[in-house]
Amino acid sequence: MKKKKMLISQQTMDVDMVRKVEKLSGTSVRRCFQCGKCSAGCPMATFMEHPPNRIVRLLQLGQWQRILAGRSIWYCVSCETCTTRCPNQVDLASIMDALRKLSWDQDGPSKESYVQLANKLFLQNIRTYGRQYEMRLAAVFNVKSGQFLKDMMLGPKLLSKGKLKVFHQKNRNIAEVEKIFSRIEEMRRKGEAL
Amino acid sequence: MTALSYSYYPGCSLHASASEYDISTREVCSALGIALEEIPDWICCGATPAHNVDELLSLSLSAKNLELAEQMEGNRDMAVACASCFSRLKFAQHIMEKSEDKRKLVEKAIDAPVSLDRKVKHLLEILARDFGLEKLASFVKKPLSDLTVACYYGCLLTRPADVPNLDCPEAPTIMESIMKVIGAETVPWTHRLECCGANFTLSRPPVVQQLSNAVLDSAKAAGADCIVVACPLCHGNLDIRQKEIEGIYSTDYGLPIFYLTQLVGLALGISFEKLGLDALIVSPQKLLKQKKLI
Ligand code: SF4
Ligand code: SF4
Repeated sequence: MKKKKMLISQQTMDVDMVRKVEKLSGTSVRRCFQCGKCSAGCPMATFMEHPPNRIVRLLQLGQWQRILAGRSIWYCVSCETCTTRCPNQVDLASIMDALRKLSWDQDGPSKESYVQLANKLFLQNIRTYGRQYEMRLAAVFNVKSGQFLKDMMLGPKLLSKGKLKVFHQKNRNIAEVEKIFSRIEEMRRKGEAL
Repeated sequence: MTALSYSYYPGCSLHASASEYDISTREVCSALGIALEEIPDWICCGATPAHNVDELLSLSLSAKNLELAEQMEGNRDMAVACASCFSRLKFAQHIMEKSEDKRKLVEKAIDAPVSLDRKVKHLLEILARDFGLEKLASFVKKPLSDLTVACYYGCLLTRPADVPNLDCPEAPTIMESIMKVIGAETVPWTHRLECCGANFTLSRPPVVQQLSNAVLDSAKAAGADCIVVACPLCHGNLDIRQKEIEGIYSTDYGLPIFYLTQLVGLALGISFEKLGLDALIVSPQKLLKQKKLI
């Protein structure tokens, strides 16, 4: 990313969003004293323009849009190393979850939408079948992302080893699953849940 | 002592790409007299995608499974073999215990009270602690002597410290202790707690190739014959992608990746086929023959 001078003013600050992040993640960004331990252990830091400690700093400064403009949150692989090692109990992995949720709600698919697309299809699969079927997930992902041939080399081999399930099993709780999804949607509509 | 008995949550991977983990888990438990009863009509725990974008949904899916287990007879703890499902279920219990608000939202979403009484246990702790290492030793028929194993924990079995509560998040020993009991040699190595790239396997294969390559490279450098794992995601990345990784990095690892229960099963004298060892992509035939284990 191009180096830009960072302007901090009332205009670029969004404290409301930071409060939402804190509420959703159940952790306080103000506890962070920028020691950098989180970023030192993060396996994905080299792929991020803002490594984890800087994400927390940006949150402290209310620079919400700056975080969303980048790809960092979508490169976090949820390995929990940062949360485990923080000396101040900043639960960074949960902060990443909260940021992804708020970004998803606010902007929908972003330029890093491959990950979002995979996540979304995964959830759709659960809603429809109650369980995950990797074969279907991979196939639909390939079609929707336009990356047809990505893992085609692996497909036949896995099939021959009986590693891919093609048929869905009947599950008596499918209706229950749908209810959970719709109850949550309903709660959000009424403003009872974030 | 009464026989151990658990409700069993296999999870989606164990019903599909990791079926050999499921098969070998059942074989090992039945050989040891540990009863596992599959939770009827369990649903997906939501895995990483659900908590990545929607915590409430993720908690609710796990809570629903806890409720289904609760409804079974016998007041039993829940056994889980997949590290990812284990992590999600433990997280759900942890978060709902900590936050009354979140628990109430979840109860509303699943339209049922949440009870946090039943323990969720990973197979590792069931074998090493509930069943016990000494007793496990007495069941060993064919010690895996001469086999040098790198124990790979990855992320979710131990992190963060207060959630899975399985072992120390920076220096765990539970897997090594089981391997020693079944006669295998274990190596110290650098990457046993590093991430393999996990569920980026679908959306960002190059990331997975890079991270998993580092894991394979470290195990090989430490002198391991093979790697043992307790997670279907780690297994997929290290086993299924190994050949492709060797191609990209022009190297040759040839490291069979075993599920924990496959090695324990071999030591208990269970056959190659019954443990689903023929389902591994990096074939373990040569190694196991060389070590006179099959
Ligand atoms: S480890 Fe904790 S205190 Fe240190 S920089 Fe990261 S979040 Fe801040
Ligand atoms: S959870 Fe995400 S941010 Fe934290 S160390 Fe792992 S990849 Fe990095």
